[in-house]
Amino acid sequence: MRLNSIGKKIIRVDGLSKVKGKALYPQDIYMEGMLYGKTLRSSRPHAYINIDTSRAEKIDGVVKVFTYKDVPGKNCHGVLFKDHEVFCSERVRRVGDPIAFVVATNKKAVEEAIEVIDVNYEDIEAVFDPLEAMKEESVKIHGNSNIIYHYKLRKGDVEEAFKRCHVIVESEYKTPMVEHAFLQPEAGIAYTEDDGTIVVCASTQYPHFDQIEVAEALEVNKDKVKIINPAVGGAFGGREDITLQIHLAIAAKVTGRPVKAVYSREESFLAHSKRHSMIMRYKTGCNKDGKLLAMEAEIIGDTGAYASWAINVLRKAGVHATGPYEIPNVKVDSYAVYTNNPFAGAMRGFGATQVPIAHEQQMDMLSEKLNMDPVTFRLKNIFKKGSKTATGQVLEESVPIDRCIKEVADRIGITPLSERGGVV
Amino acid sequence: MKKIKLTVNKKEYMLEIKEDTRLIDLLRDVLGFTGVKEGCGEGECGACTVIMDGDIVNSCLVLAFQADGKEIITIEGVESEEEIHPIQQAFLDVGAVQCGFCTPGMILSAKALLDKNPSPTREEIRAAISGNLCRCTGYNKIVDAIERAALYLKRGK
Amino acid sequence: MKKRGIGIGSIFYGTGYGNGFPDVSKAVAQLKSDGKIAIYVGATEVGQGAKTALSQIAAEVLGLSVDDIVFINEDTSITPDSGTAAASRQTYNTGNAIKLACEKLKRDILEVAKDYLGLNSIVGLTLKNGYVYPKTLPEKRVSLGEISESLESSLKEEAVFTAQTTEMDEETGQGAPYWPYTFSACGVEVEVDTETGRVEIIRAVLAQDVGRAINPELIEGQIDGGFAMGAGYALYEDLKIEKGKIKNNSFTNYLIPTSLDMPDIEKVIIEDPESTAPYGAKGIGEPVMIPVAPAILNAIYDAVGVRMTEIPVTPEKLLKAIKEKEMTYNEGKN
Repeated sequence: MRLNSIGKKIIRVDGLSKVKGKALYPQDIYMEGMLYGKTLRSSRPHAYINIDTSRAEKIDGVVKVFTYKDVPGKNCHGVLFKDHEVFCSERVRRVGDPIAFVVATNKKAVEEAIEVIDVNYEDIEAVFDPLEAMKEESVKIHGNSNIIYHYKLRKGDVEEAFKRCHVIVESEYKTPMVEHAFLQPEAGIAYTEDDGTIVVCASTQYPHFDQIEVAEALEVNKDKVKIINPAVGGAFGGREDITLQIHLAIAAKVTGRPVKAVYSREESFLAHSKRHSMIMRYKTGCNKDGKLLAMEAEIIGDTGAYASWAINVLRKAGVHATGPYEIPNVKVDSYAVYTNNPFAGAMRGFGATQVPIAHEQQMDMLSEKLNMDPVTFRLKNIFKKGSKTATGQVLEESVPIDRCIKEVADRIGITPLSERGGVV
Repeated sequence: MKKIKLTVNKKEYMLEIKEDTRLIDLLRDVLGFTGVKEGCGEGECGACTVIMDGDIVNSCLVLAFQADGKEIITIEGVESEEEIHPIQQAFLDVGAVQCGFCTPGMILSAKALLDKNPSPTREEIRAAISGNLCRCTGYNKIVDAIERAALYLKRGK
Repeated sequence: MKKRGIGIGSIFYGTGYGNGFPDVSKAVAQLKSDGKIAIYVGATEVGQGAKTALSQIAAEVLGLSVDDIVFINEDTSITPDSGTAAASRQTYNTGNAIKLACEKLKRDILEVAKDYLGLNSIVGLTLKNGYVYPKTLPEKRVSLGEISESLESSLKEEAVFTAQTTEMDEETGQGAPYWPYTFSACGVEVEVDTETGRVEIIRAVLAQDVGRAINPELIEGQIDGGFAMGAGYALYEDLKIEKGKIKNNSFTNYLIPTSLDMPDIEKVIIEDPESTAPYGAKGIGEPVMIPVAPAILNAIYDAVGVRMTEIPVTPEKLLKAIKEKEMTYNEGKN
């Protein structure tokens, strides 16, 4: 195929405005007569709340303090389950849950008002350890169980296969919750057009989904909501869930004026999802020749106080638990669990980033026990054209993992362990 | 309130400001130089980098009155009327831009470096931009761009 | 003492929402009055380069340069839903939708050109650099601008692409949940300071399967960026959550890699086109990051002989592990 444009190092089309400093991110938009908004967030991980905004409303410059009572439509949102409240009504489930949104004519009034909103917290027992949260007797975050998902992968007979293994390695791995840390903190501005359309201008990964969620909270037809997505300063999964879009839309609709909010870095850390922390227990075995025979894994992912993409993330972790290797006998159980930690959701790799921390160390441990170098060991087991994954999916084209490994091994210079001599 | 006089991008401004106004807020909210970005508000990320009398500063850590009598360059003042600056061109040519939020600060740090050291090593470049965080590019193409810019600038002379 | 070690990691990554969830992208292509082509999609540019890579797909179909593509993706009231900018799906999914829309538009353009030029058929008509002509008679040509002006309403086509995935069996997890899969491998050399526990990455190689590279510069940028995020995951990043509260909630204490933490990376683009993908191109935004942390962990083991099963491998954790290993070793000797 002769191609003219594909394969060319074409200069990025949004590059010029960015090097000139002209690219507009939501915080760069200023409108005539705009109001400023700021969110009051929970300082407790699990509590019943009572809110009194009367002192805040009296502050000079404050236009309105919005709470759950001011949500015209559904007081909920969420990419999969609608388990987030736009503003918490009775209960907070994590530090950082939004409780109120102050709107004022100037930033100083906003800051002052936030300080004098009275929130009476009545603490509830909280659970932070996903293993504790999985127990029957644990306090529940939503509904009857904290286990919101269990993915089961069954292929062959692992028990029988482990008996045939020459070498078996077993270990437990732990990965932390981490932060997207995109450079542009969340910001947005919302306003009403002459025909009543609510416009929300905010950085998001999925404007058409935000449109639906904003419309449901406003109880208006989706055609009456317009999402403008200007320059986005990085995302990495952290702009999948709603943060300030609905707050701004409600405020703009009620006040009839443009409303702008810009999160500080600290608030950005509080407002959006995190990467799921995971506990991964792995057992992997191979025969004398280094052929993988069996793998068993239990993966527990902490999704914190809200589901966000937990089900999909733990599913993706489960499906990718083997790594790019053919293993005839596989048993995987992955679980997504609610706790009172910050909520976890999408982040680059989406569950498939955590499991290689485990499976790739397992591969090296096996190869070392066999006195085989890690490259040779991998090449014996990797997917090829025609391989079946653990879920029974046939990889029938574009499977160049052998080339990837060989290129890397060649350039980094892997010498077989046996030739390298003692370490430490 | 305090009266100050400062030059931003070669234009002189006489302003009356509150004593607690930060330089970044003056530049963005009052003067409209929104190419100055705020990423952290505590001098850690470098997105708000501007050049003040030849040196880079984090404009979120400088109070506006401290800029009295100073000469400031923001990203908007880097290009000439006819064309973009060779550093900007180099950033485009080697693909050093992704989300773009750190880009203005990076370019200004690069400019301050190249103004003083026209032939920096890669290590010197890495050190010069170490106060500017980027989450997208892994920095390597930014280092490439600054190397390339040094060449462009030499060729231009 | 400083000790060096080498490690590798290899991974696969399934693109898209997966598990039978409808993974749909829509795209609209329109011939504008000035002869340029407008592409309307709801695919967000988050910095990954979607605008550029997707414009290149449109330009390829229509024989134009990227400068002739006007890419519109910022406003829900004028763009169709193209799904989320996540799951490394935009190049594959929306890329396919754009390709389909542009192919339909191209056919429309050729039909109009046929009449305009007084030809009998569109067979052998070429669309290149903004002109349509019979390939055997390039002088007999009409420009896209002239075609557009000759029409009362503009030519516009919409296309929908739906990816193929199946729902897995609830009890066995069997099924074809994602498609396509993308592969990558990473190799690193680290230097561990056994006095401080600090890990420095000395060298790195990353080989990324891309199906086909739409824009190698953008891919290389993704590889560098993915490496940095992977290195941060392995060595620095931890929110330090205590009783549900994030202790590290600013860049002062939540450390992400700086320019000084990054090695230069040897970047290898592996092409093996995927037949269901636009020009064979697969998404790479996520896979570029994934093999990095395990490669670093394996390199640390190679350097100092300790298995770090809990990340991030901070200097404190690594020092403790090295000490424990030395103690076990000494006990063994006695």
